[in-house]
Amino acid sequence: MMPLLAWSWVFTLPGLLLTALGVPSSRNKAGYASLAGPPLLLLVALAALLNGGSYAVAFDNWLPFLPDGAYRALADPLSALLLAILGFVATLVYFYSLGYMATDPARRRFFVYLDLFVAAMALLVLAGNLAVLLIGWTGVGISSFLLISFWRDRPGTLSAGLQALAANAIGDGALLLAASIVPTGCGALVTLQTPRCTGGPGGAEFLALLLFVAAAAKSAQGPLYFWLPNAMAGPTPISALIHAATMVAAGVYLLVRSHALLALAPEVSLAIAVIGVATALGASVASLYQTNFKKGIAYSTVAQLGYMFAGVGVGAPFAGLFHLFTHASFKALLFLAAGIVIHGAGGRESLSELRGLGRFFPFSRVGFLIGSLALIGTPLVTAGSFSKDAIIDAAIAKQPIIGWLLLAGVILTGLYIGRLFSIVYLAPPVDVHAAHHDAQSERPMNWSLVPLMVGAIAFGWLGSWLQATLAPLLGEIEALPPPIDPRGLLAFALGAVGFGLAWWYFTRRAEAVAMAPGQPVAEGEPTYRAAGWVSVLADAGYAVARSLSRVQSGGLPRYAMGSFIGLALILLLREAIR
Amino acid sequence: MSSEALVLATSAALFAVGAAGALVHRHPVAMLMAIEIMLNAANLLIVLGARVRGGADAEGAALVVLVLAAAEAVIGLALALALFRRKPVPDVDAAAELRG
Repeated sequence: MMPLLAWSWVFTLPGLLLTALGVPSSRNKAGYASLAGPPLLLLVALAALLNGGSYAVAFDNWLPFLPDGAYRALADPLSALLLAILGFVATLVYFYSLGYMATDPARRRFFVYLDLFVAAMALLVLAGNLAVLLIGWTGVGISSFLLISFWRDRPGTLSAGLQALAANAIGDGALLLAASIVPTGCGALVTLQTPRCTGGPGGAEFLALLLFVAAAAKSAQGPLYFWLPNAMAGPTPISALIHAATMVAAGVYLLVRSHALLALAPEVSLAIAVIGVATALGASVASLYQTNFKKGIAYSTVAQLGYMFAGVGVGAPFAGLFHLFTHASFKALLFLAAGIVIHGAGGRESLSELRGLGRFFPFSRVGFLIGSLALIGTPLVTAGSFSKDAIIDAAIAKQPIIGWLLLAGVILTGLYIGRLFSIVYLAPPVDVHAAHHDAQSERPMNWSLVPLMVGAIAFGWLGSWLQATLAPLLGEIEALPPPIDPRGLLAFALGAVGFGLAWWYFTRRAEAVAMAPGQPVAEGEPTYRAAGWVSVLADAGYAVARSLSRVQSGGLPRYAMGSFIGLALILLLREAIR
Repeated sequence: MSSEALVLATSAALFAVGAAGALVHRHPVAMLMAIEIMLNAANLLIVLGARVRGGADAEGAALVVLVLAAAEAVIGLALALALFRRKPVPDVDAAAELRG
């Protein structure tokens, strides 16, 4: 099966051509030609994963200006796992889109872009060297842009897409630099760590740093997080497939694939772990302040990717990969469940408008609950606990500070997802007539959730099997924690406390949407509820600004005197140091 | 006193005169002239360096400074002219609207 898998990135191309050429021609069947590609990808990837082995494709001198210009594809259990995730989520998203985009006049274009994305993503995963990886890497960036800006006549979609393109360009640049500076003949991803290949300028550290920058841009980590929340301007199925389950996980995949190189660069690994944990905590807090339903979930994705980065950074690539696997199913579930409510509310996404509407959509309600429980890591019954505990345990064993921070961050996870769930699904509805049911388009959406629910519940038990399958590729793998583990229980307890607090706070106050202090209590009412410490901070900031602003006197002679004295001080200091 | 030391002292003295002039004058044209003196002090130092090291590169740098001084004078005089149009008295202290 592996030889077939190595070419699986072409599976969606026939569907792309047929759909683009208008087959079938009837408008309400637009996109039907594309439906066969993802299930085929899923089946072939599963068969390859079960059979094992590996297969490499190579055509030399394909891009002769690069150090390794061959076309190299590599199908092995790691790429098979990623392709199985891609095929699984993509299949469900395709069927879901039949309902979500049922009445959209540009449905054909939507499926063409989806096919393009799946092909580029499969190429990215199958890439055997940096040159092919760069093609896939850029391809998913472009298709992501096309799909974020899909509703191009709506305000804000184009700028959101361009932001994604800009952030991805930073990563593409880093990857191109990496592909250019390696010594001649190097570039195959599995041999980057050999002494010959780390002999380029900067050595292993610089190469690892470039790969980290590329991964951080794709996975919205650190300062490059900004594009992902804005990418929610695209249709909800896109948010589930590209911006939660597959494309944003490509950064984690790249780091897992090059884990042997990272092992040679401990400083870069530490930076990955620190950036990961900082992003996880920061994005969790940011999610609490979102007034848009999908952006709240998007920040959760950024935070969970931070957990994966932290896992890879502390030297536990399998834990990060395992979390990627379980996260794909439960985060896609959260997004698709949210999409049903948004679709039923006529495309409205703000939490104040969606307040309480979730109760009219039972599938969505159950799906979101299961996804939330998996996110906070309910032991035994959800997949999230297995993988998150693996990351936390490995981090505590190797970098205790990072590990305990990750563990403490679970309370934020509980708070933000509890907030979203309470507002949309538990709170009493404001306007009962705001939700509309359309059985025709809702049926494919509802049934698409079921496999994801199964995944969010059960995929955690596949951990030890995956570990055995991937062990030859990932070298020494840390032991997975047992299903019931004291630290995991502590993490779940924190998450449950956060969830409960959010439930208590947001279902009791009809007006509470964001936790932000200083938000207007209700529309049109000038009262602000600013907590005591907020006004103290604001006054302190104002006082500092006022005293510093006196320096800006506007008088030219004073400025000139200032620069002369400053120059003299610098010169004196230089002499003194010498 | 060697001739190099003499040139060095001249340059330092010129720079000090220019700096003092730029700091005490309030008339924009006078400030511009003081800045020209500072630039010329620096130029003198560059030419001296060229003599000591015997290369032509420093003399090229001196030519660049001349061009730079001309460009600076153009902008400075334009600013001074703009100030004359707005203020009854040519005093840079009067142009302090942008204070914080």
